[in-house]
Amino acid sequence: MTLPPFLRAAMGPLRIMMQDRLAVIGMCVLGVIIAMALFAPLLSTHDPRHINEIEDGSVLSRGAAGWELQESLGPLALNDAVHQDGISLIVGRGGMGWSREGAGAWSALDLPTGADLHAVALSPEGRAIAVGDGGVILLQDGANWQPVPAPEVNLRGVVWLDADSALMVGTNEDILLLDASSGELSAIDSPVGRDFPLQSVALDVDGTALIVGERGLAIRYDPEDGTAALEQLGSSRDLNHIHIDASGAALVVGERGTLLRRESADSAWSADPAPDTRALRAGWIGDDGSALAAGRNGLIMEWDGSEWAIAQTESERHLRALLVVGDEMLALGSDRFVTRLAPPSREHWFGTDHLGRDLFSQNVHGSQIALLVGFLGATLVVLIGTNVGLIAGYYRGRTETILMRTVDVMYGIPFEPFALILVLLFQPSLTIVILAVSLLTWRTVARLIRSQVLSLRERPFVKAARVAGASDLRIMYLHIFPNVLPLVFLELAIIVGVSIIAEATLSFLGLGPPQAISWGGILHDARLSGAWRTAWWWNLPPGIFIMTTVLSVFFISRSLEVVANPRLRARQ
Amino acid sequence: MTRRGYLIKRVLQAIFSLWIIATILFFLFRMGLPDPTAALVTEGLNAEQRAAVRAQFGLEEPLWRQYVLFLTNAVQGEFGTSFSYRAPVSEIVWERLANTMILMLAAIVLAYAIGVPLGAWLSWRRGSRTDTAGIFFGLMFRSAPMFWTGMIAILIFGVGLSLFPTSGMRTLPYDADGFFDKIFTLDFLWHAALPVLIVALYYLGSPLLIMRNTMLEVYGEDFIEMARAKGLPERDILYKHAARNALLPVVTQLAVTIGLAAGGQVVVEVVFSWPGLGREILNAVRTSDFPLAQASFLIMAAFVITLNLLVDILYTTLDPRVSFR
Repeated sequence: MTLPPFLRAAMGPLRIMMQDRLAVIGMCVLGVIIAMALFAPLLSTHDPRHINEIEDGSVLSRGAAGWELQESLGPLALNDAVHQDGISLIVGRGGMGWSREGAGAWSALDLPTGADLHAVALSPEGRAIAVGDGGVILLQDGANWQPVPAPEVNLRGVVWLDADSALMVGTNEDILLLDASSGELSAIDSPVGRDFPLQSVALDVDGTALIVGERGLAIRYDPEDGTAALEQLGSSRDLNHIHIDASGAALVVGERGTLLRRESADSAWSADPAPDTRALRAGWIGDDGSALAAGRNGLIMEWDGSEWAIAQTESERHLRALLVVGDEMLALGSDRFVTRLAPPSREHWFGTDHLGRDLFSQNVHGSQIALLVGFLGATLVVLIGTNVGLIAGYYRGRTETILMRTVDVMYGIPFEPFALILVLLFQPSLTIVILAVSLLTWRTVARLIRSQVLSLRERPFVKAARVAGASDLRIMYLHIFPNVLPLVFLELAIIVGVSIIAEATLSFLGLGPPQAISWGGILHDARLSGAWRTAWWWNLPPGIFIMTTVLSVFFISRSLEVVANPRLRARQ
Repeated sequence: MTRRGYLIKRVLQAIFSLWIIATILFFLFRMGLPDPTAALVTEGLNAEQRAAVRAQFGLEEPLWRQYVLFLTNAVQGEFGTSFSYRAPVSEIVWERLANTMILMLAAIVLAYAIGVPLGAWLSWRRGSRTDTAGIFFGLMFRSAPMFWTGMIAILIFGVGLSLFPTSGMRTLPYDADGFFDKIFTLDFLWHAALPVLIVALYYLGSPLLIMRNTMLEVYGEDFIEMARAKGLPERDILYKHAARNALLPVVTQLAVTIGLAAGGQVVVEVVFSWPGLGREILNAVRTSDFPLAQASFLIMAAFVITLNLLVDILYTTLDPRVSFR
């Protein structure tokens, strides 16, 4: 087998490196990380910049200390709940339904629809009805649920007027009356007729139904004469939910923290000052004057008899419904919410950060900048350092003095502060980061190469070349340079490690390449957000990645040292 | 060349280096921040103060006059008034520099006190599993970025176990007359433990590996053979004969490390809120406090150069073989 001579020359050092087990491990690990950088878009499970949201059938329960997250009911949001005589029902998105008896476990209902269900109600006899998008009306018939044919309107609220008739409201100002025994639907004219969405309906103590909707719209339907009439509640904000207790106390909640309360059937509606102006989606009021309101981002407010106070919740979830059974209070949701600071899970292998971004993908993408700066910076450093060392060592005299004095000056400049000043004066960019990394580091390389060249230039083969009439350039680059090559590679390996750490350091201080995802940058975000003290999954991986990469490079450099310094060879 | 001639030459070189660095710094700042007062108008520098600053740094004058003024001020130790502290820059800088040096020197001493004997011991156990583990951990702490190990240390020892404080040099508020009154207390030691440990772990790798490798080289020398032939115990050969002769490269490395110590470890100071000079530079440039940034850097460089010089001179005294080049 005939190999080209330069390949054969490379085989020797390679064999020496292969004998070092640590070097082989280093090469394998570095190979994996390089592959990770090259295939980052394929490997990452998410877009690293995308703010991830998930939907969840969230249940929060009122405990002694505050509202605590319970086990989820499925992956779909829960929209409404009802309780009567020990039976509780929940309906949610995607035709999801849950029921339980007493305080038992929730069991999923088998509902004959895939449409989003928005409201559920129980008749005095305990017959359930659920309504939702696309005109879906489900009527309970023993253990079965029967769909009722209906026009395609998006229904938002439902209430039983008596054992046989239910009133439902929809987003196009639809008001429908269902005769449950015959299955007949009749539309009732709204007094407004401007297609305002109606959101919720509740049965008042006098047997009429009160409907609320957008822009403070309130309509009272009287089943006696079958007419609907406008009513004033004293608000022009969008109203989302109404709850009326059997005692006559009532609560209406809406956008921008709207809270309308009625103490009894005879008293007037009054708007309560809210401690928070986020949207409220559900309200509940009891006969003892206590009341609850829930909204987006885990907002729950409690009425203590004199004012509304924000309750302690541990969740970011969007709440849509409240269910009160005796002493037990449940808040249900949740539409798509940002998965902030989620611990590692099957969906997010390394968890998420404070903006809900996937940390695994960020870490994978971080390898690109690290290796780019590492190798580019190191190449630049070695290029400058080797040439300066070669020229200084070969020419000696004044050239050497000037070059080596420059190196001395370089040794007077502290690295990190210099990089800081450079980056801050000239705006962070990839170029400046690489420059900051390489502008000072070449000093070591230049010194090492020069001392090697000083001894090489006195060797017979250099003298022979000179006698043979070789030019200075030829002697320097064709005769001396190959002899310092092992040292050059050794320095290259070490400086790759140094550059990676330097880039991570600058990024950690918030001075890295802007918009780029880097390991140091992830740690910068973690430190800045303050959440790093609890979110261990945020801190650990980037540091381990930096350490592993640099360590693998150092392992390789150790075996290169053996190549460069034969004295070490015999004794290892 | 005589010893005195060598000394004079080295001092002149150091002054030359400092002048070059000052020049680079001056032009860097003029390129990056043509009008340092402009960045601060919003932060309460009124027209009058602005004019005063401009006059002090001669910003109305031609560039070469500014340069001369800058050098004159620097030589006289006149660095102006810090924009953010509203106090003379030199006072702030000297205190911060002392804070940095105490942290760095403690860490370097600790690293070498552990690293050198450990390296010698590892070379004795060469090829064993202990040896591999020693190399591995030495390199591992060298590879891990200090801001990360610092954060992890804070998480474990500060937040988790509540054993150590996680920021500052002393429990606030405290009274101290001067620098030494501040640091000769248990409270200071308690605060310094974590940052010193983190920096020491980082520095540990180089004395460890250099000592180990040099020892391996020394084992091949004739006088070790001789000692063995005399039947001396291995322990004596290791510590009395081999280790002493292997110290030189470690001392060289120590000299370089101490020489650069004034540069500090900015990230450690940031993570542990250690009021050092590196952190001050970061804050100064972030708040565009240009007199402070400029002076901090210059004084830091001056200190690095002086340390290098001292270490060089000491080194030639220690090892007469180093010629007065």
